[in-house]
This record gives sequence, C-alpha cells and structure tokens, in this order.
Amino acid sequence: MENNVILSVQDLDVKFTLRGQVLHAIRGVSLDVYKGESLAIVGESGSGKSVFVKTFMGLLDANGYLDGGHILYGGQDLAQFRSEKEWLTIRGREIAMVLQDPMTSLNPLKTIGKQIEEAVVLHQGLKGEAAHQAVLSCLADVGIDQPEKRAKQYPHEFSGGMRQRVVIAIAIACRPKILICDEPTTALDVTIQAQILELIKAMQKKYDLTTIYITHDLGVVANVADRIAVMYAGDIVETGACDEVFYDPRHPYTWALLSSLPQLGVKGEPLYSIQGTPPNLFHEVRGDAFAPRNPQALKIDFVERPPFFQVSPTHKARTWLLDPRAPKVDPPAHILQLREQGVNRHG
Amino acid sequence: MAKYILKRILRSIITMLIIIVVVFSLLRLMPVEGYFENYDKLSETQIEVRLTQLGLKDPLPKQLWNFLKQLSTGDLGTSNIYRKGVSINEIVAEKMPISLRMGLISLTIALALGLPLGVLMARSTRTRWKLWDKFGTIFIVIIQAVPSAAYHILIQFAGSQGPLKLPMLFSQNDPRSYILPILSLSIGNIAYYAMWLRRYMVDESNKDYIRLARAKGLPGSAISRRHVFRNAMVPLIQYIPNSILFTLMGSLYVESLYSIPGMGGLLVTVIKRQDNTMVQALVLIYAAISILGLLFGDILMAVLDPRISFTRKEGSR
Repeated sequence: MENNVILSVQDLDVKFTLRGQVLHAIRGVSLDVYKGESLAIVGESGSGKSVFVKTFMGLLDANGYLDGGHILYGGQDLAQFRSEKEWLTIRGREIAMVLQDPMTSLNPLKTIGKQIEEAVVLHQGLKGEAAHQAVLSCLADVGIDQPEKRAKQYPHEFSGGMRQRVVIAIAIACRPKILICDEPTTALDVTIQAQILELIKAMQKKYDLTTIYITHDLGVVANVADRIAVMYAGDIVETGACDEVFYDPRHPYTWALLSSLPQLGVKGEPLYSIQGTPPNLFHEVRGDAFAPRNPQALKIDFVERPPFFQVSPTHKARTWLLDPRAPKVDPPAHILQLREQGVNRHG
Repeated sequence: MAKYILKRILRSIITMLIIIVVVFSLLRLMPVEGYFENYDKLSETQIEVRLTQLGLKDPLPKQLWNFLKQLSTGDLGTSNIYRKGVSINEIVAEKMPISLRMGLISLTIALALGLPLGVLMARSTRTRWKLWDKFGTIFIVIIQAVPSAAYHILIQFAGSQGPLKLPMLFSQNDPRSYILPILSLSIGNIAYYAMWLRRYMVDESNKDYIRLARAKGLPGSAISRRHVFRNAMVPLIQYIPNSILFTLMGSLYVESLYSIPGMGGLLVTVIKRQDNTMVQALVLIYAAISILGLLFGDILMAVLDPRISFTRKEGSR
C-alpha cells in the first residue's frame, strides 16, 4: 500500500493572521492519501478540516499561510508553491473540488454549458464543437437528461440536487486525479443526499479517482469511506480503516464523537453531547487538545502532546491511553457496544 | 422576455398619464398671475379676456382634454413670462443640445476612468499593500465629503490660472472652454462609478462560485473578467440609461458657474418667475426622463440577467 501514496502531507502547519493575532489552524498534521481510495476527514465545525484540504489547492484565504511542512504530490512539494502560475498546474487539472452549497457555487449569469465548457477548454484542450460535445457528455455522465437543452439553461432553472450534479460535472470535466468533496451533501435534501453520494462513487469508479470527503455527517462517512481521519482542533487524532474507527475507536475524542450519534442513544435518555468548547487556537495548545473536555483525561494529557500509537498497520491514534505505561481506561458503554458489534460482524 | 418588456412599457405609459393628470391639476391651483407678464397693470376685464383666450375659463375636464390633445402633437405650450409668446419646444430645443453634449462627453469620461479605477481598486484588495484601493478610497472620500461647489470652484480657478490659462467661462465656439466644465461634470461621477464597481466586485469575488471557478483552475485574470466584472456590472448598468437621459437636463451648479446656456437651472428660474406653463412643461420633461430611464434600465437588466425575464411574480423586485 505504501507505494500507492498519491498525496502525502507531512507536518503541515497553517496559520492565519487575524487582527494582529496569529491563529494556528493546522498544527503539524501528517496524512497519506492512497491512490483510488475514499478518505473521509471528519470533525466538528472549526476543526480545520476545510482549511486542511484547501492547502492542497492553494486556496487558502489571503490572511492564511503555510508555516512549515510538506505536501508531496507527483514528485513536487506543493508547500513550496508561491505563484498562482504554479498552482494553476494543480487546480482542476490534478485536484478538483465539489463545494458544499450548490445554490451558490454556480455563476447565476452564465449558462450551465458555458460553466462546464470553461473546465473542458482549460483541462481537456478542446475547442468549439468538440468542447460542446464534451460538455454534453459530462452532463450525461452525471445523470442530467436532455443535456442539449439543459446546457443552455441557467442555474436558477435547476433544482438543488441537479445543481450539485452540475458542480460534479464541472469537477469531472477537469479530468482530475483527486476529487475533494467539501461537505457535498450538507446543503441538500435528505432524499437527494444518497443519490449524490452514489453519483460521486460512480464517477470515482468510472474515472479512476481518489476522493477525499470532508464532512461532519458520520452517516455519509459510513456510506462512502474506505478510511477515516478524525480531526480535532487542527490536528488529526485518529486514522484508520472505516471499520476500525467505527467499531474500535481509540481516541477519547472519537469516543465522544461516536457517542453523540443519535443512533446510539437510548430512547428516553437525553442524547450524549460533548461538554465544553474546542480550544482557542489563538493560544498555544499544550498536551492533548481534547484533554480539557475529556472527563477521563490523564495528567500527562495536560502536559505533553501524545505521539501516534499504532493500533494495527492501518489504524493509529494520538492518545496517551495507548502507551504501555498508561492506566487502563474503559471507553464509554456505547463504544463497548460498538466494539462487540464489530467483533460479531467479523465473526 | 418580449412579454415582460411589453408589460413594463405599458406600465410606464400608465404612470406617465397619471403624472400628467396630477401635474396639470396641481398647476390649476396656482395663482393666475402666472399667465401674465404684467398682471398688475391690467384691468379686470383684460385679465378675463386673456384667461378666456387661453382656455382657462373652461371646465377642468375640458382643459385637461385639450392639454392632452396638445401634448399628443408634441406641443408643450407657450411661455408667458420667461420668454413671452415663444414656444416652449423652441426654448428647450435651443438649450437641450448644449447640456446633452457636455453631459455625454463627461459621462463617457466618467465611465472610461471610473470603471477601470473601480476594477483596479477591487483587484488590489487581494494584494498585500492594497495601493490602488487606498489611493482610490482617498480620492473617493474627498470627492464625496467635500461639497461639490468647493471643488468646482477649485477646478475653475486652478484651470484658468497658472500655466494652463484655460478659459474660465464657456463659449460655444471655443473647444478649449469645454475642458473645465467637463472636468467639473465628470469628476463626481468618476468617484461614483469607481466606488460602486469596487464594492460590487469585492462582493462578487467573495461568492462561492468564484471559489469554484478558482478551484477549477481558471486563472485570476479570466475570473476577474468573465465572472467578477461582468456580474458586478449588472446592478450598475441599471442606472446608466438614467444617467445618460439626465444629461439632457444639465447641471444647475456647473452650468451657472461657467455660464453655459443649457437646461440646468431652467426649472428653478421659471418657478421663481412663476411661468406656469413652463413649470408644467419642465416638470413633465423631468418625469418623462425618469420613467424612460427606469424603463430602459429594467429592460437592460432583463437582457443581462437571465433570472429576471423568467420571474413570473410581478413586482417581486
């Protein structure tokens, strides 16, 4: 599997300057993305998951900057890119993106066809009639009927789900190797969500894509992901195969996250929620960022940042609980239940 | 689209008719002195005779009907005081072209300088020092904050003194004398267009579809041109027909400062001199221009913004 790393992030630090203060949004994150996989990055709002993937495309806001680390892709270190010209060799062509809200991510004054054509002309090198044909085949690809007619229409003539299909068509028209889906279903109707996820999966298969999902919806994750990275306060705290993270989570934050799933709640009892708030990233975080919200935190969690401990070849977590010297701390009852289910599942 | 435009035109005609009736009726309330140059020196009978001649003794609906008939032939009536016995059409035809010429030249200049300045400012907000944005903002704030009279006088003074020695006052046959008034007329609009275009462009460039355009690998210049600028122009373009039409009416202050014999200030003059028929004619011209300006603006918007022509709900905007 090691040879198949398509994108490798190493010790990435991202900072923002806001009103003279420095916000440390991504704190030394490393992550490998494997060719052809579906990786889901999960975490609550503000955990830095969007910022993290934006750095792969050089799309940070003007006040954000990389402060060390590497992003290795195709033999280049994207973290060294300085000019727009360099980024244009990556954006769309290598890595494309589907944004959260299809109602706003299309230009209201341009026809759907024109907006897809821009990508076709840029990345497939087609012109005129050939480009037009490519646009129609893109639309057909994403399941839009009567592409000839629809290409001439404007975004307001499409429903939300249809617009998201168009946004996916634009991404596909770039012929990328990696497709980043930033909360692709959050703004959609529940009935449409599954269709869109199916469509992304189909496109992944057809065009041999690697997909990175960003989401806080664990339902989406279970549906699509091969592998999960759990993010908290600008750091990845646990990564593993989908089953490993769902059925045998190791980091207390992952425990808390899973415990708050409504599906695990007991009828009649209030739903579990994580106490407290995430740390203020304007200040330096000491130790384990989750420790102040973790009732079972160890003393060392407040002092020293834990390293990653390997659980299995594919599963690792950043918590002192995995240190051989650590006292035995039992995960919450919900998690034990999950673990049992996992064991039963795999026989 | 055709249906939308037709509806819009029909509504404009109705609005205009209402305005004609209202203005006409209001002016019947004015004292009858407004129809005489030398009211004080006339006897009762002379006044009676004159009013009957003018048809002002007829019942009101008949007067209105006659006025509408007269208007429909394009005749605005006759001046009774400002220039006694001269047709108002003639007075306006003499003055309007002067205002129009000055106005159109200055509007062209304002657009040619104001829009690029707005683009430069908007684009520079993404750079580190935001030089153009700062420079432009200073200019705009000065123009907006200083009373326009102050910089008009400054322009007139600075231009006519010193090395330039441009003529201080307007004269039709001296092209050099056009320079200062045109500068005065355009400078406010330069600031206006730059300010709004910058603002709309900054608004647009923070929208999601611009992020998507960037993510698909479109170069910054193409995004700026094809997406940001074009979309930012839509709300501005709505007002351009109005601006063009209103150049017909001239500028009160600039025209009197450079003694340009245009339309500017004509309305104020005839109100002061109580020339009823002229007040009526000019108010109607102003109204017609406003209505036409809005009509053309809306049609232009419908052409540019596909969302409008398909809006079924009337009056949703």
